[in-house]
Amino acid sequence: MTRRDPTPRPAEPPGVRVYVLVVAAIAFSGVAASWVLVGPPNDLVALATLLVLGFISVGVQERDVGSKVSLSFLSIVVIASIVLTGPVGSALIGALPVMFERGGRRALARLFNASMLACQGVVGGLVYLRLGGAQDIATIEGPAALLLRVGVPLMAADVAQMLVNAVLLSGVMRMSTGVPPRRFFAQIVTGSGPAYIGYGVIGFLLVILWIPADVGPFSAVLILAPLFVARWAFVQFGEEQRAHERALSALVTAVETKDPNAAGHSARIARLAEWMAEPLSMGTQDVQALRYAAMLHDVGKIGVPTRILRRPRRLSVVDLEALTRHSVLGVKLVRDIDFLSGSLDGIRHHHERWDGLGYPDSLAGDEIPLISRIIAVADAFDALTTDRAERPALTPAQALKQIEQRRGRQFDPHVVAALATVVERHEWPVTTATEEQLEQMRGYLDHDDPIAWEQVWTAAPRSGQIVQDPEPATRQARRRRGDGIPDDSRRIPDESAVAEQVRAP
Amino acid sequence: MRLGLRDLPSRLRLHRLLAVVSIAVAAGAVAAAIASPRLPLQDWGILAVFAVVIAVGEVNRIVLPGGRETAPMSLAAGYALAMTWDVGEDYRVSFGAGVVVATASVGMLAGAVPALIRRWPVRADDLAARLLSVAVAALLFRHLGVSDGQPLLTLQDNWASTRWVTAISMVMVSGVALFVQSFCVAMATASRDHRPFWRSLVDEVRQGAGLGAALAASGTLIALAERPMGIVALPVFLVPLVLTQFAIRRFAGIRATYGQTIRALSRLTEIGGYTRRDHPARVAALSVAMGRDLGMSDRDTLDLEYAALLHDIGQVALREPIPGGATMMAAPADQDRIAGDGAGIVRQTGVLDHVAVILASQAKPYRHVRELGEDLPLASRIIKVANAYDDLVGEARARRARKHTAAIERIHLGLGYEYDPRVVEALIRVLERRAAVVGAG
Repeated sequence: MTRRDPTPRPAEPPGVRVYVLVVAAIAFSGVAASWVLVGPPNDLVALATLLVLGFISVGVQERDVGSKVSLSFLSIVVIASIVLTGPVGSALIGALPVMFERGGRRALARLFNASMLACQGVVGGLVYLRLGGAQDIATIEGPAALLLRVGVPLMAADVAQMLVNAVLLSGVMRMSTGVPPRRFFAQIVTGSGPAYIGYGVIGFLLVILWIPADVGPFSAVLILAPLFVARWAFVQFGEEQRAHERALSALVTAVETKDPNAAGHSARIARLAEWMAEPLSMGTQDVQALRYAAMLHDVGKIGVPTRILRRPRRLSVVDLEALTRHSVLGVKLVRDIDFLSGSLDGIRHHHERWDGLGYPDSLAGDEIPLISRIIAVADAFDALTTDRAERPALTPAQALKQIEQRRGRQFDPHVVAALATVVERHEWPVTTATEEQLEQMRGYLDHDDPIAWEQVWTAAPRSGQIVQDPEPATRQARRRRGDGIPDDSRRIPDESAVAEQVRAP
Repeated sequence: MRLGLRDLPSRLRLHRLLAVVSIAVAAGAVAAAIASPRLPLQDWGILAVFAVVIAVGEVNRIVLPGGRETAPMSLAAGYALAMTWDVGEDYRVSFGAGVVVATASVGMLAGAVPALIRRWPVRADDLAARLLSVAVAALLFRHLGVSDGQPLLTLQDNWASTRWVTAISMVMVSGVALFVQSFCVAMATASRDHRPFWRSLVDEVRQGAGLGAALAASGTLIALAERPMGIVALPVFLVPLVLTQFAIRRFAGIRATYGQTIRALSRLTEIGGYTRRDHPARVAALSVAMGRDLGMSDRDTLDLEYAALLHDIGQVALREPIPGGATMMAAPADQDRIAGDGAGIVRQTGVLDHVAVILASQAKPYRHVRELGEDLPLASRIIKVANAYDDLVGEARARRARKHTAAIERIHLGLGYEYDPRVVEALIRVLERRAAVVGAG
C-alpha cells in the first residue's frame, strides 16, 4: 500500500484541503451505508485482534529500505479482514491505526490516509460480497470450493483496493503538485501492483488458517512470523547496500586523494554519461553498468606513480606509457566485484579511439564497447570544460565543437550526436578553479583533454629518438604484449622494459 | 602438536561422524518403513508430494550472510511432514516416524543429485543435520508420550478445546528440532574451522533465530492447514517462507558484494606498489583463522577480516612506498602514522567505524596494555601479529621452512613486549594445523 504525505511541508494549496474533506465525507458515508446494507462486524474477537495487529503494523513503520521492496502488514490485515469482519470492520481496521498514527505526520495527512483506507475497506468488502464471496466460510469444504468462493472474490477485492488507492492518491497529487493524474496513476499501479497481489495471496492464507483450519487468532502469528523475518532481512539489505555504496565511493576518494586535480571528475562523468544514455536509448541494466564504469573509469590511476600524475608535461613517452596503463590497472583492481562485471570492458577500453589508434587494445569502430565510447566522449567533454593552468575552461558549446571536430577519428559519431542532444537539453556548469588551485595545477596534464594530450604526445622527448610517430609504435608494442596485462603487474613495469617494447621495430 | 580439550571436536572429526550417524538413522528409518504394515495408497501420494517438495527445497538452498548454507523450504516441509495428521476433512494418515524419516531422506538425497551431477560441493554435514532435525521432530511429535502416554499428535483430536496448547506445542516441537540442527551444525563448524564449540553454538543459534522462527511457524501452519485444504496446503502455505527466503538471499548477496568491494579496496595498496602481492589477503586469512581459534564471534570475525584486508590502506597517503611494503620494518612512529591515516580513510566511508577503531590501534605494542592499562582491541593485536609474520616470511616459496622458523623466533623476541602471548600461541596453533594439512596432502 502506498501512503503519502499529501501536503508538501511549507503550504498546501487550498484545493488539497477541500479534496481531503470530500474524500473523508465519501469514506464516512460509505461506512455508514455498508453498516445499513451488510450490518456491523459480527466476529468481535477477530475485529479486536486485527485492530491490534493493525496498530502494530503501523507502529513498525515500513521505513525506506532502499530496495524498492517494502512489506505492508497493514495491507495484509485489511485484506484478510474483508472476509473475517466484513466491509465495516475492514474499513475500521484500516482507518483507525492510521488515524492515530504517531510520528509527525500532519493531521490533514492522517485524515486523508485514514479516509483512503476506509474507502478501500468498504470498496473491497462490497466487491467481495458482490462477486459471491462467502460470508460464513466455516461451512465450505475442500480446496476447490475454498478457492472459488473465497480466493477468487478476495483477489478481485484486492485489485479493487489497489485501484482505489491509486485513484485517490493520484487525485491528491494532482491537487498538491499539479502532476497529471493519469501519469501518476500508472506509476502507482505498476509500482505497487505486484506487491498487492502478494498481499492478497497472504491475506487469503490467513483467512483459511483462521476459520476453515480453526486456528483462530493464533494464525496471524503463524502467518506473519515469516513475513516479519522477511521484513527484517529487507531492512538489513537496505542498510548493507548503503554501506556498500559508501565503500565503493571510497575507491574513488582514494584516487582523488592521489590526484587532487581530478577531484569531482568521476562523479561528473557518471552524471553526464547517464544523460547521454537517454538519447542512445539504452536499457536499464546497461545504464547501470555505464554509471558504475563511468564512476570508476580512472580508478587505475592509483597504480601510476605520483610523480607521473602530478607533473606529466615534462615526461617522456615512456612515462606517458605508464600513465596509459591506468585503464588496464583499473580493471585489475575491480574485476572480482561481481556486480561490476558488466562495467569491466567499459573501464578497460575507455581510451580506445574510433580510428583504432587508442589504447590499450587498439580496437576500432564497433569493436569498442558502447559504454567505453560514451565514457570517452564524456571524459573529453568534462576535461575541456574544466579550468586548467594554461587555459580557462571552454564553454559547453566550444567544447562540443572541439569534440565534433574529432568525430569519426577519435569519437563515435553517434555518441557525439548524443552529446549534442544532452548539451541542448541540460545545463552543464563548467568546473572552475581558484587561483591557488591553478597554481597547483601548473605543469599538470589532464590525460582526458584531447587537445593537451595531442600536444604533449608529439612534444614529449622520445627514448633513444627512434620512434618518430608514437601511435603506430604503441600499437605494435601492445600487440606484442598480448592482452596488455602482464602476469605480474603489481607495479608499473620498470621503465627500461617499456622502453624496450617501444623501441621494437 | 599440542592439543587441549578445545581441539576435541576436530580430533574426533565430528563433521564426518555426524554424516555417518545420519546415514545410520536414514538406513534404520528405511528398514523400519519396509517392516511396517502396508500403507494405504493415499498415504503414498501424500508422501510423494512431500518428498518432491523437500527435494525442490534442497535444490533451492540459500547461503546465509556469513556463508552458511541452509535449505529453509526443505526443513519446513520436513517439519510439516513430521506433524502431518489429518489431510482433508475425513482422512487421517497412518504412518509413523520411521516413514517420515525415510521420506525426508529420499527427498534430501534427490535434492542433492543436481549439485552432485554438476560437481558442486555438497556439504554432507549440513544435510545430515537437517535430516537428524526432522527425525527429532517426528519422534517428539508422533511417539513421545505426554498426556497419559499419548503422543502430542493425539491432541489434535480434541482440537476445539486444546487448539492453543496444540498449536503452541507444535511450534515448540519445531523449535526443539531446530535447536538440534543448530547443535549439529555447530559441532561440525567447530570441528572444521577449529573454533571453540560453545562459540560456534552461540553464533549458530543467534544467526539462525530469525529464520528459525519463520521455519517453525511455516511447518506448523502447513500441518494445520492440511485438514481443510488437503495436500494442496503444502505448496500454498510455503508462500510466506519463499518471500522470506528471497529477502534473505538478497541480504546475503549484498553482504557478499560488500566483501568483494572491501577486497578491491585492499588491493589499492598492492596495485599502487605499496605492498607485496596478496599481502592483505594473506594477512586477512591468517587473522581470521586466529580469531576463530581464539573464539571470536562471527560478527567480530567479520570486522577483523575487513580490518586485516584494509590494514595497510594508510600507505596510500604516502608519497613514496616503503621498500617492500613491510610496515613491520618501518620506524614505530611511522607505523603509528600509517595506522592513523588508514583509520582516517576508512572512517571517511562513515560505515566502517568498528574497522577504523581496530586499524587505529594495530601498530600499538602489547606492553601498552600492561604498562599504561590501555585497552587494545583483540582484533588489533591479532592483526599486528599476523602482519609481522607475513612481513617476515614474505611470499617466497623457496626456503619457506627456514624463513618460517626465523619469523617465529623473531616474533618470540617481542613476546609480551610487542606481541600478545595469547595471540602468538594462536598463530602457532594455526600454522601447525596448516603444516599438518600440507604434510598430509
